[in-house]
Amino acid sequence: MPVDLRETRLPGVGVKYTFKTALGGRVSVILHIDGQREIYFYRRSDDDEPTAVIDLHDDEARQLGAIIGGAYERPKIVEDLELALGELHIEWIPVPDTSPAIGLTLADARLRARTAVTVIAILREPEPVSGAQPDDFIQRGDTLVAVGKARQFSLFRRLLAEGPFTDD
Amino acid sequence: MTLSELAVTVAVLGALGLVARRVGLSAIPAYLLAGLLLGPNEPEQLALIEKSEVTDFVAELGIVFLLFFLGLEFSLSRATRTGRHVVLGGVVDFVSNFGLGLLVGVAAFGFSFATLVLAACVYVSSSAIAVKGLIDFRRLGDDETDLVLAILVVEDIVVAFMLGFAAAGGGEASDTLILVAKALGFITAGLAASRWLSGPIDRALDRLPLEFFLLSVFGFLIGSAAVADRLGLSSAIGALMAGIVLSETSVRAQIEDRFFSFRDIFAALFFFAFGLSIDLGAIDDVGLIVALAVALTLVGKLGGGMIAGRVGGFTSRQSLNAGVALVAHGEFTIILAQIASENALLGPNQQTDLVAFAGLYVLATATIGIVLMKESKRLGRRLLPLD
Repeated sequence: MPVDLRETRLPGVGVKYTFKTALGGRVSVILHIDGQREIYFYRRSDDDEPTAVIDLHDDEARQLGAIIGGAYERPKIVEDLELALGELHIEWIPVPDTSPAIGLTLADARLRARTAVTVIAILREPEPVSGAQPDDFIQRGDTLVAVGKARQFSLFRRLLAEGPFTDD
Repeated sequence: MTLSELAVTVAVLGALGLVARRVGLSAIPAYLLAGLLLGPNEPEQLALIEKSEVTDFVAELGIVFLLFFLGLEFSLSRATRTGRHVVLGGVVDFVSNFGLGLLVGVAAFGFSFATLVLAACVYVSSSAIAVKGLIDFRRLGDDETDLVLAILVVEDIVVAFMLGFAAAGGGEASDTLILVAKALGFITAGLAASRWLSGPIDRALDRLPLEFFLLSVFGFLIGSAAVADRLGLSSAIGALMAGIVLSETSVRAQIEDRFFSFRDIFAALFFFAFGLSIDLGAIDDVGLIVALAVALTLVGKLGGGMIAGRVGGFTSRQSLNAGVALVAHGEFTIILAQIASENALLGPNQQTDLVAFAGLYVLATATIGIVLMKESKRLGRRLLPLD
């Protein structure tokens, strides 16, 4: 953790986490025993009055935490996978409406063979496909969840948007 | 006390409590004031409610619930994890305020057991009022808040032991020592039980349907209070111990959830019942003592806070904030006085004086403390250099 986070017990109240921001401010987060959260922000770290205080209920705090942590809207299964990936990346790639790949199966599009990027899941309404199989069709409005090395994704995106996909 | 009297009482408690809330004060002085106004002593214009077996019983339940909750929050591991401020802050606070409390006690009662009780009353700040103030005035994010809460933890522990012998101490020195030993033994047994029995208790309570869960916890609480009472230790200690035993179990949060409202209702009635026995007629006897105690409290708590703060590495403005948060006295001062007032070894004069003292002292410090807390940052900017 690059951030110097200080944890203090507040007996009868809960736990407090404090850190200084790079811009010289100070943030204190208080987790109350009853589940309430408070965020205190001090514009300068030695200010004696907080610039702002935010009161949050348990569910609001979790939502905010998910948004700030970048976990919002990512399926849980992928979140866990990401940890195990090492230098591989996971990208969420929307299929352009004009993509020539629409209507093809993953096997027919040969995305993996041509770009070394693997589609592991497809996000679509109403039901996402969590373990994508070669015979799954790519449909309009899909978002492909794909694993690969960072530099391979630009080729993958270009291919998905422009093709060509020929039956060779 | 009849049902209609209870209805009037609850209505007055609610109304005064709301007013106190509106002006930013704690509800505790408001409940005391309600008792003072409706009670049989001076002022007598509104004397509606007599102290009776019913009010005594309700008050006792109030103490039992207050101490039960203290016990639930009171665990060795939590106290030791509170960190570096505990020792320094706790010692400075104890030496300065118990010391000054003894001075006030000697002025009031000479050298007697009541002096010790009064010193404890002056020593122990109100955790309830301080924590509410820290939350309301947005102080939780401040560094010095850690110091305040650490000092409150130490005070609670010290007072827990004092409760043990306030009920029956004051006889022969050897009797009092035996009592202290009993209290120590009782609390140690409780701590040991919380450590070794939390597993079996968990499993037993987990299997019970809700209704019986409530009944068995309540039964355990009252039973433990009754045992302590029989041992001559006061029911308060028994209730505290019941809380400690259950504090390490996984059902603690559930117990707190279920019994929260019991505590609030009976605590309000307890403060009210205590107010009933405050006699403003005794102000001639204790007025000066209360004034002296309030003045020395300001000296002791602000001075103690300043010393503990500066030594602990806080600025003088932060130390001032820490000190003022400890000025308000409340629940424990009242509980100590109530328990000591039932101690037959104190003369009736000392009992009446202690009750009047505690009531007036809490009314004064709770009000002054909250006002000071609200203004302390402005005062600090005005009076103290930035360092």
